[in-house]
Amino acid sequence: MRRYVLRRLAVGVLQALGITIAVFFVIRALPADPVSRIVGMNPTEDSIRQARHALGLDMSLFQQLLTFLGFHGNGVFTGSLGTSWVSGSTVLSEIAITLPTTIQLIITSFIVALLVAIPIGMATARRPGGKLDKGVFGYGLFAGAQPEFWWGLIFIFVFYFKMGIAPAPLGMLDPMLTAPDAVTNFVLIDSLIAGDFTAFKSALGHLVLPVLTLSFLLVGPLLKMTQQSMSRVLSSEFILYQQASGLEKKSIGRSTLRSALAPIITLTGILFGFMLSGAVLVESVFSLNGLGQYAVAAVLNLDFPAVQGVILVISVISLFVYLGLDLLLAKIDPRILVK
Amino acid sequence: MMRKRKIDPLLLIGLIIIAGSLFLAIFGSSLAPYDPQEPVGDFSMPPSADHWFGTDGSGLDVFSRVLAAPRVDVAIAVTAAIVSAVLGTGVGLYAGYFTGRISEIVMRISDILQSFPVFILAMVLVTLTGRNVVNLIFVLAFLYTPIFVRLTRSEVVTQRTRTYVEAARATGNSEFQIATRHVLRNSLAPSLVQLSVTVGFGILLTSGLSFVGAGVRPPTPEWGIMIASGAPNIILNEWWTSIFPGIAISITVFGYAAAGNAIERWARK
Repeated sequence: MRRYVLRRLAVGVLQALGITIAVFFVIRALPADPVSRIVGMNPTEDSIRQARHALGLDMSLFQQLLTFLGFHGNGVFTGSLGTSWVSGSTVLSEIAITLPTTIQLIITSFIVALLVAIPIGMATARRPGGKLDKGVFGYGLFAGAQPEFWWGLIFIFVFYFKMGIAPAPLGMLDPMLTAPDAVTNFVLIDSLIAGDFTAFKSALGHLVLPVLTLSFLLVGPLLKMTQQSMSRVLSSEFILYQQASGLEKKSIGRSTLRSALAPIITLTGILFGFMLSGAVLVESVFSLNGLGQYAVAAVLNLDFPAVQGVILVISVISLFVYLGLDLLLAKIDPRILVK
Repeated sequence: MMRKRKIDPLLLIGLIIIAGSLFLAIFGSSLAPYDPQEPVGDFSMPPSADHWFGTDGSGLDVFSRVLAAPRVDVAIAVTAAIVSAVLGTGVGLYAGYFTGRISEIVMRISDILQSFPVFILAMVLVTLTGRNVVNLIFVLAFLYTPIFVRLTRSEVVTQRTRTYVEAARATGNSEFQIATRHVLRNSLAPSLVQLSVTVGFGILLTSGLSFVGAGVRPPTPEWGIMIASGAPNIILNEWWTSIFPGIAISITVFGYAAAGNAIERWARK
């Protein structure tokens, strides 16, 4: 077990590093000039040279990579992702502020989506071909591919503008409130630590529409997977045996769910990794200031250190999420570890 | 025995939507009542008899722009999907049929490509190569190729050991002929399904990128740009600028997903 985890971690770290180095070279190989953004219009040759030097772009590519990795002072290996070319603060500190917002949004959305998808999926698996079954199929197909940013706007229009029951789509907190002291940068947690229930309620309120938007789409594939997986298990022999043995419906249901859980967990992991960068659009619609929006700004400003940092962080998080879910799978079905 | 053939309604809906989207990609801007890039005079006008979908904040006719946009959105997505399908199927056939070091390397590369955060990578590549239609096609094709490699390869691996392959070999076909004539034909189904689905995702990615300002440039008639331009005004009751292009995306993407799903069910029979 420990060897399995260590091997996975080692492979994953190498992979994340590989991705980062690949990104490092790709963004420098493509025809875009970050210096021209910084020196402005009609620069003198001197100011261009100075800017290139300040950004470290006058070194050879290989030297730049070594610097980035931390062979000359602080770098990836010493836990630094460099300094943003635009704001001048460290990339790590900017990610530390924006990442929690994104994680908070994604996790809440997954909780809601799973709470909706699993019970409905279980119910329809028991009665295949029914009206609910057909409805679920149609919804799964529909929500599997939809423009989430547009649905976000629709929800804003309906629930904020028309009905007035949702807060304005401008960030995580009511603009009249002072933010609770930043401890974890998760607004929900920070407001609880500060004992500020007004802020907590406000943050929760501001999460409703973004979470509705994301889970509206996430429920589609999760529902389809639950249904397929449940109906496969329900038609298997050990369930037939349990039924023949006269076990209670409740206990049969429990063991069915346990066996049907593996593909649902796998899908959750894949969707989670996808959402880390896919939440960008929903974050922009609701101006949440999450990691996705930070990434957009970094890319549009040609802020190379920030771009590298975001991609590295996302790769590392996906790595841990996949690993965690695989361990959870192994807990449910220990046969996985033998392979 | 004759069986009554019933057309899958899902396939029918999907094909109608796909045909419509392709038709608009070719003829959309000629059907548009106004020039999709020229202001018609009145700003932010709600839908009326003259402007069915209203006009946007710069005075452009929304209906004309919705009709003209497939030439960008659908054209990019379809071209990119076809390029990646052809490329990915070829590479997948090679990697599945001829196992060896090169196949191993190809699979590892597509593994790494697939573990990238797609949206951010697309944003980086499009912004750095230049935000235009051709670069978007290249980037999307590049991002979607690994899926086809994987799908084709896993199908080829199961087909390779079938008896018909042995028979073809026994009758004196070269390995290349067996791979391209016999195995390829029997391994196409998953890629075909994926092709349709990929077009849908391509449209979502194209419009999503321009929504955050990392796609084609305004005032190009493009659904994502239109939604973005109307987004700030939706809370001022100017709903028409964003709603109509969104409905267009929603229906189009659903059409490609429905067709893909129907083909998959049909292939499984």
